[in-house]
Amino acid sequence: MITLTIDGKEIQVPEGTTVLRAAQQAGIHIPTLCDHKHLFPYGGCRMCLVEVEGARTLQPSCTLPAANGMVVYTNTPAVQEARTFVLTLIFSERNHFCMYCPVSGGDCELQNAAYGQGMTEWPLQPNWQPYPVDGSHEFIVLDHNRCIMCRRCVRACGELVGNFTLGVQERGASSRIIADLDVPLGESTCISCGTCLQVCPTGAIIDRVSAYQGRLKDVTRIKSTCVGCSVGCGIEMIVRDNRLLRIEGDWDAPVNQGVLCKIGRFEPLTDQGERILTPLVRRNGVLKAATWDEALHVVASRLQAMKGRNGSGIAALASTRLPVEALYSFKQLFADKLDSGIVTSIEEGVTTALPGWVARKLGKPFEGTLDEIHKADLVLAIGVDLVENHQVAGFFVKRILPQGCKLVVIDPYDNGLHALADFSLRPKKETDYDLLVGLMQVIASLGMVRTHPIGTHDLTRHTPDNVSRMTGVPAETIREVGRLLAMAERPVFIYGKGLTRASFPTALEALLDLARMAGALDDTRSAVIGTKGQANSTAAYLLELDKAFDLKGHQVAYLALGDDRPSTRLIEHVEGVPFLVVQASYASPLTDRADVVLPAAIWAEQAGHYVNLEGRLQEARQGLTPPRDVRSNLAIFQALAEALGIALDGNWREALQSRVWIGQPDACR
Amino acid sequence: MPKPKVATDWLAGCSGCHMSFLDIDERIAKLVELVDLRSTPITDLKEPDENGCDIGILEGAVNNTANEEVAKRMRERCKILVALGDCAVFGGVVAMRNFGKIEDALKRAYVETESTDAEGKIPSDPEIARPTRVRAVKEVVKVDVAVPGCPPDADVIYYVLSELAQGRMPKLKDELLHWH
Repeated sequence: MITLTIDGKEIQVPEGTTVLRAAQQAGIHIPTLCDHKHLFPYGGCRMCLVEVEGARTLQPSCTLPAANGMVVYTNTPAVQEARTFVLTLIFSERNHFCMYCPVSGGDCELQNAAYGQGMTEWPLQPNWQPYPVDGSHEFIVLDHNRCIMCRRCVRACGELVGNFTLGVQERGASSRIIADLDVPLGESTCISCGTCLQVCPTGAIIDRVSAYQGRLKDVTRIKSTCVGCSVGCGIEMIVRDNRLLRIEGDWDAPVNQGVLCKIGRFEPLTDQGERILTPLVRRNGVLKAATWDEALHVVASRLQAMKGRNGSGIAALASTRLPVEALYSFKQLFADKLDSGIVTSIEEGVTTALPGWVARKLGKPFEGTLDEIHKADLVLAIGVDLVENHQVAGFFVKRILPQGCKLVVIDPYDNGLHALADFSLRPKKETDYDLLVGLMQVIASLGMVRTHPIGTHDLTRHTPDNVSRMTGVPAETIREVGRLLAMAERPVFIYGKGLTRASFPTALEALLDLARMAGALDDTRSAVIGTKGQANSTAAYLLELDKAFDLKGHQVAYLALGDDRPSTRLIEHVEGVPFLVVQASYASPLTDRADVVLPAAIWAEQAGHYVNLEGRLQEARQGLTPPRDVRSNLAIFQALAEALGIALDGNWREALQSRVWIGQPDACR
Repeated sequence: MPKPKVATDWLAGCSGCHMSFLDIDERIAKLVELVDLRSTPITDLKEPDENGCDIGILEGAVNNTANEEVAKRMRERCKILVALGDCAVFGGVVAMRNFGKIEDALKRAYVETESTDAEGKIPSDPEIARPTRVRAVKEVVKVDVAVPGCPPDADVIYYVLSELAQGRMPKLKDELLHWH
């Protein structure tokens, strides 16, 4: 530990702590602009200058490591003068007129800094040099006139997202943030994650939807969980007058620590299509608006008549975007009380049934947490495109690559990670198993097996040359990747749909054995991560909603879609069913074809819990009030149960414990 | 001691700061007990007393030769000059013009405006004021008190005037300091 004195206060901090962080820990405020608690210190803006006893000049506290016996003053006349001078220069550089800036009035760190210094005017007037405004992006506007060149966006793009789209060109007054080699942002390699937007301290990077829609004091911030996929990122909904203005990543969320992807940040704000605003009942062939009582009565009487007719009665399917509470009530209602032939989820267990089978066979969970990625020196991704799906997990991989982490990608299909991989393997379809055993063979032949495999695999037959013939992957690549796996100190294995879609779990079991041999999976550590599917993919597995949705012979189909979008396959699948009930937020070919439509709340209009891919139970809070005749998915199941004279309990927490989980042993609690 | 004389005027702005001044509502009665409100653009007397005032208040930026004259006259006749609002203090919305050329602004206003007919032309009579680069008041004359805000709140204006009336220099900070 290091002991230093700041403003007369003795402070102890671990070695390597900067003076700025030491001051912050001690509750001493030092104004900053380029500093961000999730980015590496940069020392660009000079707002954080402090006086250090014995130092020749003022020192930037953000890059100054605390040292034993150091005596620091943060509030001397020289420091105050320097701060005002720094702000004076910044204000003189570009257009920082607050009166027509969307972040003025609480949201601008530059303005707040000026207020902090009590500045009632600019000692120097601006130089009136106009800079371009880049409006080429679908969601983000980049106004260089408001930029203070703190480079937070550039650093966030690289350090947090690993995308390295943003950079800086030129020097001095001509310096400017650029995308790629100075192309418009909308035509660049930007992946629209919006992290730059979230870290920008001024109005230089603003989003089209929320700009000028409300200042900090006009809006409500609601912490919640993203339901875009199974990663389960922490978000903040920024709401004004029951309108969702903006979504930000929650810096304090354990899963994502602030970052979000396009699907989580921007897509919910785009036009989602026509809402269903009232219950609809088909009469004489035409769907007509009805009251809830009428609609529930029609559904209840049909369900009552079909109750218990296994195979020719009710088939029920729920979206994995619904909260656990709703999924549990759905299961209770349709499986336990109505004895329906099929009760499953929209994913039909495609991403969870297989790992679940393996976990039950092992009698224990086998997966690790996403945080393992940050410690990895080798990532092997198989059957998963982390650039397209589960993007935040992809950011974790991309951001550690510059630190020397190796990336191996196995996918016969196009995959955004292929371009970033040290080794990009495209085996022939259905040859994953042989390739994985081939890699095991290399590790074994090097005598570098760390943990012995559980399954029996024919290693003698899987020499690199033989495997090369089977898979089409060059033998030398197999040898090199095998060697890399053998040498890696902290390898991490990430698998996805491409692996679990296979008909039999052998490939997944081979992956686990490979992970064991490489030291990523033993009794003390698991660095094998399955990406699963949608937000409550995991909960659906735990509630046993993972069977195939085979409608054959069923007379009634009940589809609880919520705000999910039906696939073409599902639409075609229910074509011939005699009676179709759709519980949905948005109009679709399914609601057009339904006999009864029950209007359901969207994600932001209902509260509930989600179990992410790691098994972390997280809360999603309600940010918006649904339209008058729209009910939450849970409330719809409850109303339907009441119409049927059925009592539902709320013991979803216990229900989540009844099945062997795939991930961390203490998850889901 | 006689009540300090106060004169106000507006330059290139939207008159919003004067509207905000009127938003002090019934406190204006209290204020006239403290000060002698002389010329303002919204009262009958339009120019500050020739024999001088104590406090002069200017709203708006200086964007032409006429504004320059008004600003200079106010400065000459007042002991303490207050720049009221973002336009007077920084240049404000008016100063957006400085990021382009004056000729382009005039063309847009007099020739290209949707309501102008085909013969639209830029006025050039030597009798009328000539547009200049937009300047904050302090770029033209010395300013003693800067009161930013777009507009400054009525509370801020009341505070500034009552402090000056009682012979103190106002100190804007915390809730009273805002530029928006």
